[in-house]
Amino acid sequence: MSTPAREMPRREGSFEREPARRVFAGELRECHYQFREGDDEKSPTFVLLPTGERCNRIFLIGTLTEKTRQGEQNMFYRGRVVDPTGTFFVMAGSYQPEAMQQIAKIETPAFVAVIGKPSLYRKDEASAPMVSVRVESITVVDKETRDLWVLDAAERTLDRVDALRTGDSPDITKAKEQYPTVDPVVFRKMAYDALAQITI
Amino acid sequence: MDFSEAAERISRKFVKDGTALADKAKIEGKLRRLVQEFGVQPSEAERSVTGELAREHNMALPGSAPNGQRSGGGTAEKKITEAVPGEWVTFEGKVVALSAPVSPSISQSGILADESGAIRFVAWAKANAPAMNEGSWYRIESGVVDEYKGVANLKIHSGTTIKEISEDRTLIPVPQEIKDLHAGIGGVRAKVVQEWDASHERMLQSGLLGDETGTIKFVIWKEPGREKLEVGGVYNIFYAQVDEFNGRLSLNLNGATILQEEGDIAVSGGEAAFTGAIVHIAPGSGIIKRCPVEGCNRALSRQNYCPVHEIQQKFVYDLRIKGWLDDGTKTHSILLQRDAVETLTGISLAAAQEIAENNPLGMDEVFLQMRDKVLGRYVTCRGREIDNRLLVNSCELKTFDSAEHTGLLNRAGGAA
Repeated sequence: MSTPAREMPRREGSFEREPARRVFAGELRECHYQFREGDDEKSPTFVLLPTGERCNRIFLIGTLTEKTRQGEQNMFYRGRVVDPTGTFFVMAGSYQPEAMQQIAKIETPAFVAVIGKPSLYRKDEASAPMVSVRVESITVVDKETRDLWVLDAAERTLDRVDALRTGDSPDITKAKEQYPTVDPVVFRKMAYDALAQITI
Repeated sequence: MDFSEAAERISRKFVKDGTALADKAKIEGKLRRLVQEFGVQPSEAERSVTGELAREHNMALPGSAPNGQRSGGGTAEKKITEAVPGEWVTFEGKVVALSAPVSPSISQSGILADESGAIRFVAWAKANAPAMNEGSWYRIESGVVDEYKGVANLKIHSGTTIKEISEDRTLIPVPQEIKDLHAGIGGVRAKVVQEWDASHERMLQSGLLGDETGTIKFVIWKEPGREKLEVGGVYNIFYAQVDEFNGRLSLNLNGATILQEEGDIAVSGGEAAFTGAIVHIAPGSGIIKRCPVEGCNRALSRQNYCPVHEIQQKFVYDLRIKGWLDDGTKTHSILLQRDAVETLTGISLAAAQEIAENNPLGMDEVFLQMRDKVLGRYVTCRGREIDNRLLVNSCELKTFDSAEHTGLLNRAGGAA
């Protein structure tokens, strides 16, 4: 039986873009669980944050400290983007030609805004999972924009830490299962330290 | 399974004017065949045969009814908005509108309302149902709610009984907010904010209605007794048909009850403001060429081709940015028009034209320069939200607010 017409969402089938989550490098580094929503080839993959939110896309601003070009036939760029809490590992390959051209032009060090998709990988079977960010877009920004991002990421992190304590969404439950040893107080402190580094 | 008993049960459902519509032996044969030959579960076989007969006799039947409890009148009495397609229902409601049947197989169609809402109904000619009068109350037993063009619809068939309710009941319809409308039947209290040129000779009027929560397109088709709405007038509109096309809603006012009233409404126009980071600049942003034909203004392709007016060499340059604004929890589609683009990027139309005509990359260079100036930046965009896209009137860069900084420091340090 079809769903009741009256309960159908007003804009059925309209496209909802996955929002870009704000997460500090220090939290993203802790991720070791990812999952797929649906069995379709094009189903999105999500990395689950220890604070209980899924992310398919993230937005980050930090300092691009180094970039290296690798590969001959399948050339790609790797880069390290540093925020007040740690380092994001970013990469742009031939499937992201726009991002690759953007990163090629940037001279390090520089403040960069990165929109990209996080994913987990392992160097080999035995090693711990690493999170890298496949860049969709990377642009040079100024310090003020970087500071705005630190505020934004701190606020979102605190929101998640609060929700983790009181909420019971499926993702929060899953996060508690997947990251039993993680103490959310760590992320509150991380946000505080990041904010404290901003000098005006 | 007792086949003859099951067949009896099924045949009882298909009786019209005292004569059975279906042959019991035939039903029994079908059941036997399904169960014995095809190994179908008895209850499923009964459901399937019942469904087949229902289709044959144009009497939509809902899911399984293995125990034959439905011998007329045994259907749940419901409020109109509670009905789900596929259900047998009994409603008490008022016929608030009648419309001309669109097919000879329909004897009557219109809208039935109760205090919870309203639903379109159709009485099949085959049903031999008594004609209902507009404005009267009826108890309709054993109708079937199904779905027609994505909207719930009440079918009155030969098994439905209709009784007029003589007591005088009042029905005060409550208007909805425009943002809460959904496909079906709806009512609003709204102001006519725009009137558009009729796009069809049968169209009496079309335009835009607005209330405090948003706007919606409306249309009135030519029909005796229908009058145009006054631009700027405020109307209470009840029992209008809310249509959905390509995900957009519109109000069809033919058949609606329309009352003009005094007063004014501060139409929101979907005025909205979002703050976030610009996370994507879509192709087609930057400097574009527009069709010069009066009233067209469409964006031309690289070959100066307008989808309607073909090649246009005397195009007009314009600036725009299409993209996504993201606050970390939701992403909004945004469209910046020339003024907003010039303010945000600091590149004027004249400067962009100069780049487009003299730089080896041409218009692409404008796109790249604008992208590098806005992507990843925090902005506040204000404008009208239409169909999930924000048409931006003004867009400004967010600046660092030390009070916000202090507040967050306290929040992070305070409750640790």
